[in-house]
Amino acid sequence: MDLETMTAQLERLRADALVAVEGAADAAALEQVHVSFLGRKGAITEILRGIAGLDAADRPRIGAVANDVRGAVEAAAVVRDEALRAAELESRLAAETVDVTTPGRRVARGSRHPIAETVAAIDEVFGRFGFVVHEGPEIEDDVTNFQMLNIPADHPARDLWATLYVDIDDHLLRTHTSPGQIRVMRETRPPIRALLPGRCFRYEAVDASHAFEFFQVEGLMVDEGTSLADLRGLLDEFAHALFGAARATRFRPGYYPFTEPSVAFDVECVVCDGGGCPACGRTGWMTILGAGMVHPVVLRYGGIDPERYQGFAFGMGVERIAMLRHGVHDLRLFMENDLRFLEQFR
Amino acid sequence: MRVPLSWLRDFVDVDLAPEALAERLTLLGMEVKGIERWGAAWRSVVVGELLTVERHPRADRLSLTTVTVGSGEPLHIVCGATNIAPGQRVPVALPGAILPGDRRIERTEKMGIASEGMLCSGDELELTTDADGILILPADTPLGADLSELYGDVVLDVDVKPNRGDALSLIGLAREVAAATGAPLRVPTVELAEVDPGVADRLRVVVEEPALCTRFVGRIVSGVTGGPSPDRVQMRLRAAGMRPVSNVVDATNYVMLETGKPTHAFDASAIHDATIVVRRARAGERLETLDHVVRELDAETLVIADPRGPLAIAGVMGGAASEVTDATTEVVIESAIFDPVSIRRTGQRYALRSEASQRFEKGQDVPTARIGADRVAGLVAAWAGGRVLRGRVDTDPVEPGPSRVAFRPARVDRLLGTSLSADEQALLLARVGIETEPAPAAAVIPVAAGDDPLAVSVDGGDARVALVPTWRRDIEIEADIIEEIARVRGYETVPARRPETQMPAYRPSPLAVRDAVREVLVGAGLVEVVTHALVAPASLDQLAWPDDGDLPSVEVRSGGPVVTVRNPLAAQHSVLRQHVVPSLLDVLATNERHGRSRVAIFEVGKGYAKDTDGPREWWRLAFVLGGAADPAAWSRVERPYDLDDAKAILELVAERLSLRAPSFVPDQRGAPFHPGRAAAVTATIGDTGGPAAPGFVTRPGAIAVVGHVAELHPDVLAAWDLRAVRVLAAEVAIVGLGGGTLAAPMARPLSRVPSVERDLAVVVREDVPAGVVASTASRAAGELLRDLRLFDVYRGAPLATDEKSLAIRLVLQAPDRTLTDDEVDAVVRSVTDGLSVDLGARLRT
Ligand SMILES: [Zn+2]
Repeated sequence: MDLETMTAQLERLRADALVAVEGAADAAALEQVHVSFLGRKGAITEILRGIAGLDAADRPRIGAVANDVRGAVEAAAVVRDEALRAAELESRLAAETVDVTTPGRRVARGSRHPIAETVAAIDEVFGRFGFVVHEGPEIEDDVTNFQMLNIPADHPARDLWATLYVDIDDHLLRTHTSPGQIRVMRETRPPIRALLPGRCFRYEAVDASHAFEFFQVEGLMVDEGTSLADLRGLLDEFAHALFGAARATRFRPGYYPFTEPSVAFDVECVVCDGGGCPACGRTGWMTILGAGMVHPVVLRYGGIDPERYQGFAFGMGVERIAMLRHGVHDLRLFMENDLRFLEQFR
Repeated sequence: MRVPLSWLRDFVDVDLAPEALAERLTLLGMEVKGIERWGAAWRSVVVGELLTVERHPRADRLSLTTVTVGSGEPLHIVCGATNIAPGQRVPVALPGAILPGDRRIERTEKMGIASEGMLCSGDELELTTDADGILILPADTPLGADLSELYGDVVLDVDVKPNRGDALSLIGLAREVAAATGAPLRVPTVELAEVDPGVADRLRVVVEEPALCTRFVGRIVSGVTGGPSPDRVQMRLRAAGMRPVSNVVDATNYVMLETGKPTHAFDASAIHDATIVVRRARAGERLETLDHVVRELDAETLVIADPRGPLAIAGVMGGAASEVTDATTEVVIESAIFDPVSIRRTGQRYALRSEASQRFEKGQDVPTARIGADRVAGLVAAWAGGRVLRGRVDTDPVEPGPSRVAFRPARVDRLLGTSLSADEQALLLARVGIETEPAPAAAVIPVAAGDDPLAVSVDGGDARVALVPTWRRDIEIEADIIEEIARVRGYETVPARRPETQMPAYRPSPLAVRDAVREVLVGAGLVEVVTHALVAPASLDQLAWPDDGDLPSVEVRSGGPVVTVRNPLAAQHSVLRQHVVPSLLDVLATNERHGRSRVAIFEVGKGYAKDTDGPREWWRLAFVLGGAADPAAWSRVERPYDLDDAKAILELVAERLSLRAPSFVPDQRGAPFHPGRAAAVTATIGDTGGPAAPGFVTRPGAIAVVGHVAELHPDVLAAWDLRAVRVLAAEVAIVGLGGGTLAAPMARPLSRVPSVERDLAVVVREDVPAGVVASTASRAAGELLRDLRLFDVYRGAPLATDEKSLAIRLVLQAPDRTLTDDEVDAVVRSVTDGLSVDLGARLRT
């Protein structure tokens, strides 16, 4: 075989190979083409076997042609390979199309009870003003629940707290979180800023706004100059935090044996914004808590000198706050634990 | 206290609209709970005049009347009453009228004769108690006038606080109105036309218990005629919420509402020997009270008696035998002051709380004993005829003057955060009748009253003295004066400030552990519930959840004698619970009834017991799982909750609290547990932080979680009538749940050398728990072991039927170097040897 013939064979092979590369339908076919032209037993190798019959001077020349053909086919194969890969990816992605409008796969998530959540919200506000949480027992003694709070036995004010008594001498189910005031004063020294959340009990028939078990948060602040003006300022902050900065508040006289002066604290009705509606008895106001300056007798039972120190206390019903915050109209819902209700507080 | 404004106006002018007056009173501390339009239930009831009254041709008991209402044709109205005559003015309900009780009046036919409306009795209008006769109006009542315009009233419902007994009266509230509006107060003086003989000649009063009856005033009205009180009086009593009874009884009630002084009228003929004795009842004495209940008296009960025996329970209720009746001709009026505590206890003992006893309980203004007796005598004479006998019997005619309460004007400002001059303060006090005067050189300030009073001496120049009227028994100490100043000035004028006083020292929240646990459970898909602490006694036995018993204490110990409520509202809420799980099963059942099948709930709640030294309360985390762990969705099938879900929740809790992985030990007690699916759980404190609580050891390795987790026995599900096939429950004590802190976890440096994993398939007998295999393998592996995880369980051929194969992955790592193959092989050998020796395990190959 001579140089020309061999060169012509290689050139024909180049043309055939390029057509075959271009015609490869997928990666496997391309590999087949690759092997059949460029492999160890491929067509180029086959042709080059005849190299031995050439002149020594022609051998490098035919080698250069063969390399050129090989390089061209390799390059074409790479291009074809990339094109095939791109097409394959595209078709795979196309095949993977999902209906994006179906709902997501839910991960179960629970919820906090609105009472706990409301206690946390109250704690959050007063915590920022330096109030720290304390807790007292639910089975309380009569002395701490009443007498040390300036409510002697046989005092008509006892009618304000219908009491459940237990079969432990001189003990009852605490009717309010106020006995915690005494415990905090006895455990710590002024300056005091304490928050006392907890479960309370009363002998009370159940209806939309009454329960025999309910939750309260009590607050206590005692220092040398703590005044009624401080109480008012702090309660305003609280009302604005929970019910909006624009909500008007009202400070008026109340009555508790353990505070003097005593305060009832109202916010503009959250239903009618003060216009008057059945929810607020058409007054435009809703009472959210009771408060007052700690009575000197209570300070003394707490071991604090009323001549040197003064302070305020406040107490609120957690359910009441939660009802106003969340637009709940029946207090019974909180202890019925219907999941359809509770799951709204996720 | 119900306050008819028409009556209030007897004592003070009121120019304000009812709503505005209500707001003023509320801002003064006399909260108005409601405003009632009295007579608002009357529609189209007008004043008419009877023109003719004739007998009905077909019914003897009916009359045919013609009535003019001023305009239009006279109306023909059939009437059943007999007290009517031409010329009388009467209330006429026109066709279309509405009467109380939503009674609608239409044109009707009675025995064949048309009736164009109805003549009304006082009872039908709810104005008086007279149901038989038509209400005859005064002759000068304007014809055609709307009755609600004439007799309608506005009634304020005032919430008088227990310390303000003085305001349980129209005069007391008129004082408050005067203070709020500045209108002058008119308190009428009583002038009586008295006749001989004197009361002292006709009545003897012996007070044997002067501590319980500090004053007794008696008066007598002779020659009375029983009957109803005037219509106007009946209307006022009704508007104020009291039932008219008779002229004499109504006079006592009228005066009680007016002055706040309860009095009692006796039929003089029933008082033996004209002698009244105020004494304690004697054992065995009985009295039939006005409500016709015969009551056994005891020595704690103060009675009004005559020499023969008790006539009345003092201050609480009169006796039937001495009751004033229509036959009574002479009346003895008792106007006494009793010890408030004695009256309160007596009222509670007999479950008798009357309008009178409620006023006595709150203490009485001493002069009203005299004023009340005089006023009742005058009204009885006016309404029932008769003559007031001269003078009174009075056991303590010396009446006290104002009490003197010294206060420091500077303290007023210090407590209120105001800056008021002493003169301003004096002016404010004067509005509620409290005059002030300079203090003596050494003034004594009452700081606290009661059993342990506190008074401090100050320089008179720094103090003033308030002269407190006798009716303000609530004002005793300086703080009371301060409240009065704030109240009259208006709490609205108290400035709002943010506290500028010292901050307290930092104190961690005791809720840290409780909140961390809640957060884990919520994240794990459980809904928090809050259930009752008061439960039914039966529910204590319904689920025998184990008490702590021999378990280590990480919270307050559980179990012990049950705490019972002495005065429960209902049996199903009469004892305090000892476990939380039963309450959760109740919630599960309730929600199943609402059609819910998946219920995953938890509560961090308390249990309660009593010890010999008092009550004990403990906190527990409890949760219950029922239904589908993974609810069916379009993309997956449903998977029910099982024990591993419950255990995983406890593992998450342990992780959050930086504890070591909990260990579960089979608990085969059976009920209330599934005998093969229950475990006692414990978790210990790890090396890097964890919870801490006062009174509990919390070093690394100490137990921090202890309790039980189980699938409940089918009998339990049946007892709660549950549809769920399997219900998982857990209740555990956790250190710090009742008040504790969480240390920040300490980070370990990350190892820079690779770890090596080796998987082993270990064949053991079926009864060898995986937990035991794991702990045995861990022990044998030594310190190079970083992690050990069970990842498969296989049963079946070629294993024997009582065998199982556990696939375990060991993760090995040295802190400082890459492990060699020899080192790894040595650990694996040590593990397989250990399992083989201790558990008879072999490797599956
Ligand atoms: Zn409203």
